[in-house]
Amino acid sequence: MADAARTPHIEVENLEIHYGVVPAVRGVSFSVQPGEQLTLLGPSGCGKTTTLRAIAGLEKPSAGEIRIGGAPVYSSARSVNIPAEKRGLSMVFQSYAIWPHMSVFENVAYGLRVRRESKEAIVEKVDRALDMVQMRPYRDRGASQLSGGQQQRVALARAFVFQPAVLLFDEPLSNLDAKLRADMRIELRELQHRLGITSVYVTHDLEEALAMSDRIVVMRDGLIAQVGSPGDIYNTPRNAFVADFVGSANLIRGRHRADLDADGLVALETAGGVVYGMAHGRPAGADLTFSVRTVHLQLSAQKPAAARNVWPVRVARSVFQGDFTQVNVAWGDQVIVVRGAAMEPLAEGSGAFLSVEPRRVVLLEE
Amino acid sequence: MRVSRFSFKPQAIAGAFVAIVAGLLVLYPVAYLLQAALDTGDPEARPPTAYGFDNFAGLLEYPQIILNTLTVSFAATAMALVLGFLMAWILTRTNVPGRRLFEQMMVVPYYLTPLLGALAWSLLGTPESGFLNQAYRALGGAEYLIDINTAAGIAWVMALFEGSVAFVMIGAVMKSMDPALEEASQVMGASRIRTMLRVTLPLVLPGVLGAAIFVFAEMLGSFAAALVLGLPSRYYVVTTAIYQFMQQYPPKIPLAAAMGTSLFVVMFVMLFIYRRIITAGSYVTITGKAFRPRVNDVGRLRYLLLAICLFYLFASVVLPLLTLFYASIQKISTAFPAASNFTTEHFTKAFTMNAATTALGNSLWLGLWTATLGVLLMGLISWIIYRSKLPGAAAIEYIVMFPQAVPRLVFAFGMMWAWLMFPIPIYGTLWLLLIAYLTVFLPLGVRTISGVMLQIDKSLEECAQMCGASWGYRIRTVTVPLLWPGLIAAWLLLFVASIRELGASILLMGPHSKVITPSIVESWFASSTELTAAMALIQTAVVAIAVSVLLAVTRRATAHITD
Repeated sequence: MADAARTPHIEVENLEIHYGVVPAVRGVSFSVQPGEQLTLLGPSGCGKTTTLRAIAGLEKPSAGEIRIGGAPVYSSARSVNIPAEKRGLSMVFQSYAIWPHMSVFENVAYGLRVRRESKEAIVEKVDRALDMVQMRPYRDRGASQLSGGQQQRVALARAFVFQPAVLLFDEPLSNLDAKLRADMRIELRELQHRLGITSVYVTHDLEEALAMSDRIVVMRDGLIAQVGSPGDIYNTPRNAFVADFVGSANLIRGRHRADLDADGLVALETAGGVVYGMAHGRPAGADLTFSVRTVHLQLSAQKPAAARNVWPVRVARSVFQGDFTQVNVAWGDQVIVVRGAAMEPLAEGSGAFLSVEPRRVVLLEE
Repeated sequence: MRVSRFSFKPQAIAGAFVAIVAGLLVLYPVAYLLQAALDTGDPEARPPTAYGFDNFAGLLEYPQIILNTLTVSFAATAMALVLGFLMAWILTRTNVPGRRLFEQMMVVPYYLTPLLGALAWSLLGTPESGFLNQAYRALGGAEYLIDINTAAGIAWVMALFEGSVAFVMIGAVMKSMDPALEEASQVMGASRIRTMLRVTLPLVLPGVLGAAIFVFAEMLGSFAAALVLGLPSRYYVVTTAIYQFMQQYPPKIPLAAAMGTSLFVVMFVMLFIYRRIITAGSYVTITGKAFRPRVNDVGRLRYLLLAICLFYLFASVVLPLLTLFYASIQKISTAFPAASNFTTEHFTKAFTMNAATTALGNSLWLGLWTATLGVLLMGLISWIIYRSKLPGAAAIEYIVMFPQAVPRLVFAFGMMWAWLMFPIPIYGTLWLLLIAYLTVFLPLGVRTISGVMLQIDKSLEECAQMCGASWGYRIRTVTVPLLWPGLIAAWLLLFVASIRELGASILLMGPHSKVITPSIVESWFASSTELTAAMALIQTAVVAIAVSVLLAVTRRATAHITD
């Protein structure tokens, strides 16, 4: 497989899926490189799970093409639709789908038995897989006696034990409690690296997507909103939807003041003052919108030394939320949300200075 | 949308097979029924020489029958609803002693069948020889206390039976109502009465209305009680009239067909309305969650409520069984027998008489085959309807649920014609009965199996598919093991239903294919009452054994799965 590195492992082209007359996916194209972990991120109903199930073969698309390793597994033009069991993929389900009538061992061995592997090979591979997810001590337990996290591990072992070409994950962590979810996130990422397997991961959880992925496809209403690395998506969201969905952001609208543009920065006139931001190569028209992450804003009692993007504001509300403090400040005709871990205590109603580095202010495409 | 030549091949074959079998079983007889109803040509000629609606006009010559049917149905529905509602309220919402036990006992009347009730109440309540009337005269009364061979008598026996159906339906609604809804009303300052009128009643109403329509539709198609109790006094309802039209010489085939068709159209409309009410009108009460209903402390009143519960079970279960037993152990049954009158000869006879043993043997054979083939066929149908993504699955669901809207007697009428015309001569054999049972019990089997199937998370099967398992392999290793309790329950229910079947069997059995329930009816009218009572008890015992196995097995199986 010399050119495996150059051919994308999974290619999705102009995929359309309808439920009756309701379109769930409306023309989506992306590809996944060998060994890459790609995440489909979006709110519920955006078509991410439907897209994943179409790749798996569990959902029949209405149009488009899906290729795995260069060979079409679904193509409306060529009238190809290979059933799920013959696509050589594997999947971890949101509900874990642990078979309650089998032991842990039997659950994991299922895919190997289907492939008619020898008894010894099955025992060896299942034990190795259970070791990797630290479930070896539970191998003879009934599957229904396991906790949620343990079921998740068994589901994982079962999915990779037969060395599938691709692993698909359908919100695998969404049924776990917050603390366990955070642990499993790391564990899953490590496992993924060790296995080096191509995977497509579906989630609505931003932190999960950022932590787990090489690349993220943000979806909305059956369309792709943005594709990029976690850093790209977080730091330079393309539009208001991505900015808001991927973390919390303030949107600042105003009129472009081309006469004030300087040092490669775009100047925007707003009710709260002039704001400088970065265009990242995006076209700057007359009316523009900037996005600023709540955590990138600074709030201080003393006026900072910076020449640009410093504004006097009034503290409207300050709420301590544990890991961070959220302060709402009145700025021009809108309220700006500032979040920080170690913030100066500021009394509600007092005056303060709001500032931000211009590179943290991102011009959005409308 | 084109389907590739690779995709879902075994599924597609199974789907086509199921569609053809279901279509053949259900639609083929219905087509013949409609043809007979619309046949206005030469009665000797087949196929019909002319079509028209004249047969339906003939129905108007029998206004008494329609009036009788409506009288009995309304009376029985009203009584069944009062019983069902009262019992549901008592057993879910009050602190009457022994609620748990009573709740489990409430299904027993349903298993005892209207036929058994009718036989027993006939022994108790015929004007001349009824045990109750004999006792009444012995106490100095004149003539008789009750006359069971009337509309009220038929309605009473049916209400005792349908009361258990109404209880299950209304009780389910009461249980699925969030008690917080009532508590919210009381917290806001509403009185108990006001809460009852403004919150409880509106929430329960759709369920009660649904039960009313369902019970009424069942009543319209009911046959056994009207036959046993109505025939002696020539009180006919639609179903018994159809039977009579078929039995007399020459048979009035077109009229029977028109009557049957009208009946099933009315029932079809009612069951359609029922489904609409159940799906649309249930507001927020049905969340799929079972709540612990709020129990009202009713104080001293609970002894009265206890008496009501005891009375219902006494009248519908204990008294009928005791009566039949009492009659079956006497030479000539009477309320006050001499010691010399007691005998076991009827049981001996029932076990040795050729006609009775053959009929029982045939019924057991049919029960085993109906249940075994039925579970295979209906399991496959359930899977195709609820799990496959094959086109036309919804249409198959409508077809298999169709027999529910058709009284079995009417269905058997269509089947008689249909299979008489069938190139393979199965008319008059047990095979015809087997086909008939598989058809009329389609809704029962499919509902039982799919009820369990819908509780099994779909991803359990999808996961097997993602592991590379073919359709047959995943059905065998995942679907069937998980479905096992449902399959066993369906097997036993089909077995019990077959053993008890009357409406379809009475028209379709031939001299060489007798089965037990119609034989009991025949024996009732043609030979001895006491022997009939013995046969009915033997049949009940067989059913009781099957039902207790059913309960034990399903309890163990569900315990295993939910562990």
